[in-house]
Order: sequence, then C-alpha cells, then structure tokens
Amino acid sequence: MTEFNPDSSGRVKGVTIIKPIIYGNIARYFGKKREEDGHTHQWTVYLKPFKNEDMSTYVKKVTFKLHESYPNPTRAVMKPPYEVTETGWGEFEVVIKIYFNDQHERPVTVYHLLKLFQSETDIMLGKKSLVSEFYDELVFNDPTIVMQHLLNGTRSLSIGSYKHDTDFEEKKEKTLIKIQNAKRKIRFEITELNERLKQKKQTIQKLKDEISKHDTSALETSHTEILT
Amino acid sequence: MSGSDVKDILELDRGPEKEFITKDALMNSDKKKKPARKSDVTFKRPEGMHRELWGLLWTDNRDAPPLIPTDTNQGYKQMKAKIGSSRVRPWKWMPFTNPARKDGAIFHHWRRVADEGKDYPFARFNKQPEVPVYSDLEYQQHLHDESWTRQETDHLFDLCKRFALRFVVMNDRWDREKYPDRSVEDLKERYYNICNKLVKVRAPHGTEPKIRAFDADHERKRKSQLVKLFDRTTEQVEEEEKLIEELKKIELRKKEREKKTQDLQKLITAADSNIDSRKADKKKTNKKFQQQQKIKETSVQTPETTGIKFPDFKQPGVYVRSQKMKLPVSLGQKKTKAIEQVLEELGIEYNPMPTEEITSHFNELRQDIVLLYELKLALATCDYELETLKHQYETVNPGKTPDVPLPENPDPLLEIGQSEDDHSRDAIDVVGNLTPNRKRKAALESTTAHLLKKMKNRV
Repeated sequence: MTEFNPDSSGRVKGVTIIKPIIYGNIARYFGKKREEDGHTHQWTVYLKPFKNEDMSTYVKKVTFKLHESYPNPTRAVMKPPYEVTETGWGEFEVVIKIYFNDQHERPVTVYHLLKLFQSETDIMLGKKSLVSEFYDELVFNDPTIVMQHLLNGTRSLSIGSYKHDTDFEEKKEKTLIKIQNAKRKIRFEITELNERLKQKKQTIQKLKDEISKHDTSALETSHTEILT
Repeated sequence: MSGSDVKDILELDRGPEKEFITKDALMNSDKKKKPARKSDVTFKRPEGMHRELWGLLWTDNRDAPPLIPTDTNQGYKQMKAKIGSSRVRPWKWMPFTNPARKDGAIFHHWRRVADEGKDYPFARFNKQPEVPVYSDLEYQQHLHDESWTRQETDHLFDLCKRFALRFVVMNDRWDREKYPDRSVEDLKERYYNICNKLVKVRAPHGTEPKIRAFDADHERKRKSQLVKLFDRTTEQVEEEEKLIEELKKIELRKKEREKKTQDLQKLITAADSNIDSRKADKKKTNKKFQQQQKIKETSVQTPETTGIKFPDFKQPGVYVRSQKMKLPVSLGQKKTKAIEQVLEELGIEYNPMPTEEITSHFNELRQDIVLLYELKLALATCDYELETLKHQYETVNPGKTPDVPLPENPDPLLEIGQSEDDHSRDAIDVVGNLTPNRKRKAALESTTAHLLKKMKNRV
C-alpha cells in the first residue's frame, strides 16, 4: 500500500482511488394512461456500485433532484439501495448528487436523463422493463486519510453473483477496440494529408517566387518606360 | 447703461479724478478683489463633493504663495475688457501721405487726436529688396550667358527693381515683343545665378560668401506636377481612389495569407509530432487502473498546438471521470460538429464508457479528428491559393504555363466542393475584382461544408 504521508490538509499525496459506478433508471409502462393523474409509467432512478461492495462506507447520502412538478423534488437517500421510485408521464433530467462521509471531499454530481419511451415493442406494451443505465467512475485524487480508509474498507454488498442489466465489460472491450481502430485510421489520414500539404506548400512557394521574379522585372521595365 | 455714460452724453463734467482710459486699465482687474480671499477660509465643503476632491482644492488654496511672482492671478478666468467705464478718446478725420508713394498723393483717414502729425503707421511694411547692380566689366567677365543677351538681362533687372522681385508680376510685364518668352522659373534662374556670381566675385578673400540656392529644374517639375494634379478629371480622381483602396485590400489579403502560412506551418509541425507520438504509442504497454503515471504521459503526448484542451483534474478531490471527456466550449461549433459527424460515421458514441483507458484514447481520437479537420481546411486554402497564383501567373505571363507541377484537377479529396463553387472560382480575378474577400470566404465556406461530407465518406 502507499505509505502514509499526510500533509497539512490531511491528504495523501500521489494516491488515486477509483470507484466505478452505475447510474440510470428502469421504467415500465402501465399499459394505459392512468385515470386519476394521467401518469403512464412507473420508474426507478438509481445509483449503485459497479463492483459488489457497500458504498455506504464512504457515501453519506445521495440526493436525487426530480422535476419540480413532483412534491418535494429533492429526495435524499441515506443508505443503499440509492434509488427513488415514482410514477410519471414525462422524461426529464435527474440530478444525482453524491455526498461523502468525509466532509472535506466535496459532493459530486452526475446527470441522468430519465428514459421512459423506447421503440421496442415489448417495452412499449409494458411486458418488459426499459433499462437506461450508464457507467462512470468516481476518481479520488489525493484523498484525505479518513477517506482513504473508508474507500479501502468496503465490504461486499451481497453474497453471490452481482450483475447489471448491461454487460459493461463487453461494452468496454468493444468501445476500446473501436476507438483504437478509429484512431489508427485517422492518424493514417493525418500522415497522408500532411505529406500532401507539405507538397502543396512547396508548389505555392515556387509559384510565388516565379511570380515575384516576373513582377520585379516587369516593375523595372515599367520604371524605365516612365523615365524615358 | 451706467451713470457715467449718461454724463458723457450730456457732456457733463465729471471732475478730474477720471482719466482717459489706458489699455492697462481696461484689461487688468482692479485690486479691490484681493481682500475677498479671506472669506474663503470659512468656506464649507459643498454637499455631494467628494472628500478627496475637496481636499485637493482646499489644500491648493491654502498652499504657501509661490516664490516667483506670477501675473496669472486670474487663473483660468478670461480677460475681460471693461468697456464704458471711462471717457472715449477723441478721433479726427485728417489727411496723410504714404511715404511708400513717390507721387505725394494725399488721402484722408480717421485717427486719434493724440497721434496727429505722426508717420503713416503702415509705411514700415514698405520693404524694398536690394537688387544688385553690375558694371559692364563684371558682366563681360562673369555674367555672360549664351541664352541671354545683355539687353535682356538689363530688362530683367529693371523689372526686378520696379516690381521688387515679384516674379509673377515681372513675368506678366515681360516685354515679349523684344525678347523671347520666359517663364517665371527662367527669370528666377537667371536672376539668382547673377546674384550668386556677383556675391562670389565681390566677396573678399578667405570669406565664404552666402549663396542663395535656387533649383530651377526642381521648381519646374514641382509646378508641372501641381498642374497635373490640378488638371485631373473627376473620373481620374475616382479611379485613383479606387486603386488605392484596391491596394489596401491587396495588402490586407497578403497579410492574411502570410498569417495562414504561419498557421499552416504550425499545423504541419503538429501533424509531425502526432506521427512521432504514434510510434511511441506502439511501445506503450497496457496499463491498468490506479496507475496515475499514464495520465501524465498522455498529456505529454498530445500535440498542444491545435489540439483540444480537455479539462485535467489534477487538484486533490473527487471528480466524475466522464467530466474529463467534456469538449471545451471554446472549441467552437464547427469543430464540435465535425467531431460528431466523424464519430457517427465511425459508430462511436459521443459519450463512451469513461474508463481511464477509453477516456484517454477517446480524447486523443477527438484531438486527431480536429487536427485532420484543420489539415483538410488548410489543404483547401492551399488549393485555393494555388489556383489564385496560377491565375496571377497567367495574367502577368500570358500564354505561358508555369514550370511548376500544378495539379490539373486540384484535389480528388475536394472534388465535391470544387464542382459546386466552380462559378465562384471562375469569377475570381486577382487584379480587378472588387469583392474578392467575400467571394473567397464564400468559396471557402462551401468547401468546408463539403469537407465534412467528404470526411464522412472517407472514414
């Protein structure tokens, strides 16, 4: 482990701890519009760890800020599971704010666009739930000593397998390969284009020299014309 | 109207205490005002005036009096003549002679009684220049000139004396029946040449005579230029203005182009460093989480000149990794759009999973896309410039083709952009176009739009 080397602010220099998280929402269609309030979906917006661990060791609370039309729109969740279940009829941006147990670490905000509608027929009919979730990472740069302890001291959330609806490992591999391929492609083009650009530049210079040569000689002749 | 005026009109005697007014009395303020100063001491700061300003004014007033007496005790107050405070000095209609006239003619004018009998004051402006006189011997020895006869020279000097060297009048009075017509410059040249020669000849040994310089050729040229300037027609004046404007534009464009070439050089350097970094990239081993070193490495790798400045979170604290992928607003819409289009074509999400590896690769990818975009833009500019230069070459060198390899079809990459703005390209005339900048811009913009399309097709 990294040696303890706290400075005045109580932070451990040179240490970066990463905590992958998943946030998103599931939504299910009622199958019809509800009479009393016109709501059509039940949804749950959530924040959970990517790995099987108990986030409450370092997370103090998570607040979900819903649309203002909801009563008491900022919902604070003090312990896992960090989620809010509601019904509604429209999509909006949910502001998820994560507060940490050490107050020296400022809270972190992620934004999630609540998703209710999708074109897939099963989901549309309400037989299957819609899942819209994203991967992100909390990066702790030079955490405080307390925080470091808390971050390293997480326990498993549950015994047994811990799975997400989306296969993020696979997605990660695919994305990475795609990006790397794209990078190679673009870089190849850059080299090619650069060569061409250099050539063009030379041609332009040559042409310019040619013209200026002609210009000066033309200028001289016109000068002599004036003088005579 | 003051009482004194009434008395004056009624011609009442006002006693001996009032003298005729002098200029001094008129202009100078009376000294009664001085004691009034003391009342200033109790003056309070007016409401609303800043304390600092008041302090400045106040201490200014309290300053010790200057060591050197000044006569500007009125400050910025304008001098005012006090008219009507004293009796008017009498004027009289009287005859006078002008000493400048030889005929002794008598004229009349109004004058102060006190000045009666004095000389005509404007006589002192009647200055007579000294016209040198030469003897027969001097003329024969020094002053002979092929183009001037003795008689003509005498006539010139006679006129000089008569008209006090007013050469324009002399030129008018020149006896054209006896002598050939001479211009003002000819007269001056002859006159000053003779003067200078006489001065030189007569100067005592060892002293440097004072020579009057007169450059007749220069004068003639100057006058003919002035005449030409005056004789210009309105059309010519307009044409000149137009040409000057054009010149300014051309110079502006030249500067612009120079700047572009500089930018281009930067771009090429950036692309070069990019190629270098690619080689370094291959050597890099796969890294895992918690290895912060890599962040530093990647930041070194990326070419700084044209790339995107992604936010780096180096301060202690927590952040969400996806924030690192945020495009800065300063990037501009066009570039952002270009990135989006290319990403779409590549089938990559705008916001991929923000693991450390993906983030750094993704950011580099987008930097490369921007670089590629800029290179393509630069290439379009180059092609445009090449085209213009070609036209220019053909204008100065009609019938010839430059002995430089010119792309017949400028660039296959830009062919879409080419075909559509062909009309604007044809219209470009390097010399005579009045709005080349606008057209050029338009042409460029349409190429940009097509560039995006082209980028898509390629990728």
